[in-house]
Amino acid sequence: MSQDTSPTGASGATGVKRREFLKVLGASSAALAVTACQEETGKLIPYLVSPDETVPGVSTYYATTCRECAAACGIIAETRDGRAIKLEGNPEHPLNRGALCARGQSALQGLYNPDRLRTPLVKENGAWKAITWDDAIARLSQQIGQARSRGAAGGAVFINQHESGSFPRFLDTWLAGFGMPPHLSVDAEAHAATLEANRRTYGVAWPTLSFSDARLIVSFGADFLESWGASVPQQLDFADARAKLDGAPRFVYIGARRSLTGLNADAWLACKPGSELAIANALAGKGSIQQAATESGVDAAALQQLASELSAAKPALVLSGVNGANALDVALAVAAINQASGAVGTTIRPAEPITAFDGIATTGQLLAAVERMRAGQVGIAFVRGANPAYTLPKSAKFADAFAKVGYRVSFTSYPDETTELCDLVIPDLHSLESWGDAAPVRGTIGLQQPTMDPVYPTLSKTLPAALGTADVLIQAAKKDPASAARYPEQDYRTWLMAGFAGGPRGFAAALPKGIAPGNLAPRTAVAAPTVAARAAAAGTGPFTLYAYTSPVLGDGRGANKPWLQELPDPVTKVCWTSWVEIHPETAQRLGIARGDILEVKTDSGTLRAPAFPFLGIHKDAIAIPTGQGHRASAQIATFDWKAHKPGDLQWGYGRYARDLSINVLDLLPVATDAAGGAVLTSTRASITNTGDNMVLPSTEGSARQHGRGIAQAVNAADLNKPPKEEEHLPGDASHAFLPGLRSPVAADAQGDFGAPSDANIGKNKGLYDPNDIRGMAKRRWAMTIDLARCTGCSACVTACYAENNIPTVGAFWQNATIWADQKPGLNIARGREMNWIRLERYFEGNLDGKFGVDFETRFVPMLCQHCGNAPCEPVCPVYATYHSPDGLNVQVYNRCVGTRYCSNNCPYKVRYFNWFGYGESDRKQYAFPEPLDWQLNPDVTVRGKGVMEKCSFCVQRIREAENRAALEHRELKPDEFTTACAQACPSRAIVWGDAADPNWTVAQRAQDKRGYHVFEELNTFTAVVYLKKVNHPATGAQAPAAD
Amino acid sequence: MTKRRKWTAIPGLLALATGAVILSAYSGASSSQHSSPVQPINFPHPVHVQKLGMNCLYCHNAANKSMDPGMPAVSTCMGCHNLIGPDRPATDLGPKRHSTELAKLYKYADQAAVGAGMGPNAKPIPWVRIHKVPEYVHFPHTRHINIGVTCQTCHGQVQKMDRVYQYASLNMGWCISCHVNGYSPKEGLEASGYAPQQTASATLASTAPATLATAERKKARYDCANCHY
Repeated sequence: MSQDTSPTGASGATGVKRREFLKVLGASSAALAVTACQEETGKLIPYLVSPDETVPGVSTYYATTCRECAAACGIIAETRDGRAIKLEGNPEHPLNRGALCARGQSALQGLYNPDRLRTPLVKENGAWKAITWDDAIARLSQQIGQARSRGAAGGAVFINQHESGSFPRFLDTWLAGFGMPPHLSVDAEAHAATLEANRRTYGVAWPTLSFSDARLIVSFGADFLESWGASVPQQLDFADARAKLDGAPRFVYIGARRSLTGLNADAWLACKPGSELAIANALAGKGSIQQAATESGVDAAALQQLASELSAAKPALVLSGVNGANALDVALAVAAINQASGAVGTTIRPAEPITAFDGIATTGQLLAAVERMRAGQVGIAFVRGANPAYTLPKSAKFADAFAKVGYRVSFTSYPDETTELCDLVIPDLHSLESWGDAAPVRGTIGLQQPTMDPVYPTLSKTLPAALGTADVLIQAAKKDPASAARYPEQDYRTWLMAGFAGGPRGFAAALPKGIAPGNLAPRTAVAAPTVAARAAAAGTGPFTLYAYTSPVLGDGRGANKPWLQELPDPVTKVCWTSWVEIHPETAQRLGIARGDILEVKTDSGTLRAPAFPFLGIHKDAIAIPTGQGHRASAQIATFDWKAHKPGDLQWGYGRYARDLSINVLDLLPVATDAAGGAVLTSTRASITNTGDNMVLPSTEGSARQHGRGIAQAVNAADLNKPPKEEEHLPGDASHAFLPGLRSPVAADAQGDFGAPSDANIGKNKGLYDPNDIRGMAKRRWAMTIDLARCTGCSACVTACYAENNIPTVGAFWQNATIWADQKPGLNIARGREMNWIRLERYFEGNLDGKFGVDFETRFVPMLCQHCGNAPCEPVCPVYATYHSPDGLNVQVYNRCVGTRYCSNNCPYKVRYFNWFGYGESDRKQYAFPEPLDWQLNPDVTVRGKGVMEKCSFCVQRIREAENRAALEHRELKPDEFTTACAQACPSRAIVWGDAADPNWTVAQRAQDKRGYHVFEELNTFTAVVYLKKVNHPATGAQAPAAD
Repeated sequence: MTKRRKWTAIPGLLALATGAVILSAYSGASSSQHSSPVQPINFPHPVHVQKLGMNCLYCHNAANKSMDPGMPAVSTCMGCHNLIGPDRPATDLGPKRHSTELAKLYKYADQAAVGAGMGPNAKPIPWVRIHKVPEYVHFPHTRHINIGVTCQTCHGQVQKMDRVYQYASLNMGWCISCHVNGYSPKEGLEASGYAPQQTASATLASTAPATLATAERKKARYDCANCHY
């Protein structure tokens, strides 16, 4: 170019010679090239000895057992290069049949929790000191020896988190060897009244419940989809029942609070807290309907209708999960109804018991042990996994009693409240690192095997690298001359396999399936001391305080896992905090708005938490979930991501749980029902509006659909009516599954944007040609979601987090740097949540200021709809989002420059933006502090700051399956693989696959007459077909309009 | 035109040049092509491949099964080198000599003498990585190997490299040109250095299936989401 026509004019005008310019340019580029071109590639560190059965970069799968709750579902752990990266249900397991709940998925974040204790600890003069494993075992055996020589062994207490299997028997034998009494197997989530009533009525702790055989389901506060019993198998069966559509059982929920289970019911009888017994008696014919109506505040006509329905529907299934002072009475009354109606043997099957709940000690028994501690009768106490300092009401003064124990040992891996009170801490292995077994159902043994080497090995020259509590107990026994002979086995694994019916060989043979037929030897019968009910004065106040077990955090043990903290509660859609549910009418009367900080006062304590007006709570009650409010007893500075060093002790259950909101148990008196269960719903409370307010961290945009038809429903009676003229089947329209109608990239590839002179313009469609040899356009990946099955449990959400490396963004240090606000969940409150699939929850009915009980709830899993005619695609200035030939709406992270136009234009609002560097380890917003990052899926890119992301239909699984098929020289088989959400779904509501191939299930489901596309009127031609929910209104009654 | 005015343009030009270089670096147009880092052990590919005739997959044994080709475990090296130590007797491969590289290997393997086996303080060899695509690219070795793409097509004739260097640019345009235009088995075979007209090894050339050398170009998918997810 000549100097005169230079476009900048700069070089010509100033007369800098071309050669000078090039010199300067050359020097600066050379300097930059050193940094830019010498890319840091890192090292390739090979194995020393390559392990058998593994190929680098290819997953290995291990069948094992989930220990996140007592049910002990079977899981398959996917491991890559020696690290567990994903958990899925074991399809062969009789309990969960391949499904897995959100809490089960989150076991990985327990395994890789950054605040897990790494070494044994000892408390000396009030300060914690890390010690070696050899030292810890020496101290343990010394303390046991001292306790025995002082004669204190007989008064020892061992509190173990309940688990079924051989370990309880092993532990009792070990304790007996030192002259110690059997251990207490506690589970704060267990429902003691139901267990006791089952034992008395059916002779087993938990019979199999058959929802699909029932003609009518009635639940007295039994939250069988969340915290009552084994939720995954119950949910599978309930969904199967609902999938019968017009033949499905009607479901009536009775209780003061409409839980997630209650929201799935067709009708809710909102009774006064504590009045369930009157209704149960009336239904059993032992009391008059009129009296029950007066006592419970429920409309007599509704009760009469239920009574007649119950007598007509055979078999029915009536359940009780009441947590009030009269819980056992209700449970027994309900059992009597079932016996009278002939449900035993059909919908209730004592012959096929679930054995996972056998042998759970009640809260009453635990409290008796605490009283013995307080009286100074306990010389040595052990705790493993359980956290009584948190799960017992504060009024039980556990810490004071525990302080009177001579020596306290904790076998817990997490810095929880009880462990902080101990003298010696010997961390346990995680269940994914250790051997074990479980007794889920009669006739089946669940096997547990390590899926990887321990995250924190013992690093001892004399001890094995993997040392679980059972191994430590064996080591301690070996140090004792009197006990050594009883433990010839070197570790628990050897002991376990030797005791297995088929011996070590049989055990190894059964491991690939994770289950074996047979029954484990029962724990030596423990003469359970019957503990009398402990009554407590209800106190005063206008409201009944209704404490309930959180479906997400459980009894609080889920609180240290960011996936669960970030998972919105299925009912309220609130996360990272507790809340106080209050009826909207009461709230209106008292001038309380959503987010107002209420002071809740009972005779036992006072707490502050934000208000959440909720239609599903009785007007005379307020409800608070359990799970939050973990506190350290020592003074601990607020978590500082920068000053924090790996291994720093984070008392108060870790950085993700500490000091978040409140623990509702602090408001309760010490009270147990006749079965020994904790009384949670019989305390009176008063509330005061403090005048403070907070924005609740919630993913709920609107609780109403405003006529948008996102979640549609149909009455069972209307199912078989002929369709109206204008109606069509969504999967039937051939155009609806055509990919890439308007995507510029697709259009370009189709030849539409070619040079006008090109003879082939518009003809060469490249990969988009269905006859193209590469076969991409042959497929149309699609999904159906059956709303008749979906219960809103949100297992799919956590499964998606695990599969797709989705960051959690709600921890308080993850907020903005400038004007930093240390509020947990602030990013969520600002609408910056990252859940690729979210559970929308809409209320129907009860409009216009009426606050009745007659409302319906619809749950809709909402994810990228992979529109054939996607609004996001034409607005992207850099073609970072486009339509692939196989029907995916693709997001290319490395193209994205973060304009967010796509998100703005998305009618479904399913695109999520990386406002901060959640995936960058040097930023304070980093979501995966080591070792949480060990879990990251190597097949999925970790997104950086400023990048848009969204559901990819698990494209990495598609490519993996295609690679596998190509390797085996075959085509993909129908239903060969599926997405993470569909795989986890405990309702089997989600079906995914190739809609263009009629052999895939999804292609058949898409033709269902209940099918519809969300926002079909926008001509987006989505790849997700929803199947309408089916309502079952009472005969003669009219359900809310189905729109 | 004054001298002062003349030099005021320099900072502006500098900024422009810097911007251009940064943009080009960010765009991925730069590459570590030809980079040839010093390795902890100067592993002689020519000896193992050309003299001994070992297959690439003997050591990189996951390349046809996995996304990741895999680096040989130290025990794989010591499978042979347990008996082939640093002090080499005279054989048909050469005269008696001492190998400093094998001495390094014995140090990593913590092996005292020939035949003694690996010691307890063995350490993996920290090879310096040469070929790397960014994290947002998923490159399945298995698909390429199993369709018959020769290793040398992308990695160059490693069997002749005294020190391995990055042969191809590994830029996206380089990937796409092959995916769009198609891979020619004939050219691939030629690139491998074992094509009939180029190689001295008649046995290798004769074992290559005739169809490979004559088949048409194999076109591959070039959709973004094939590699970027």
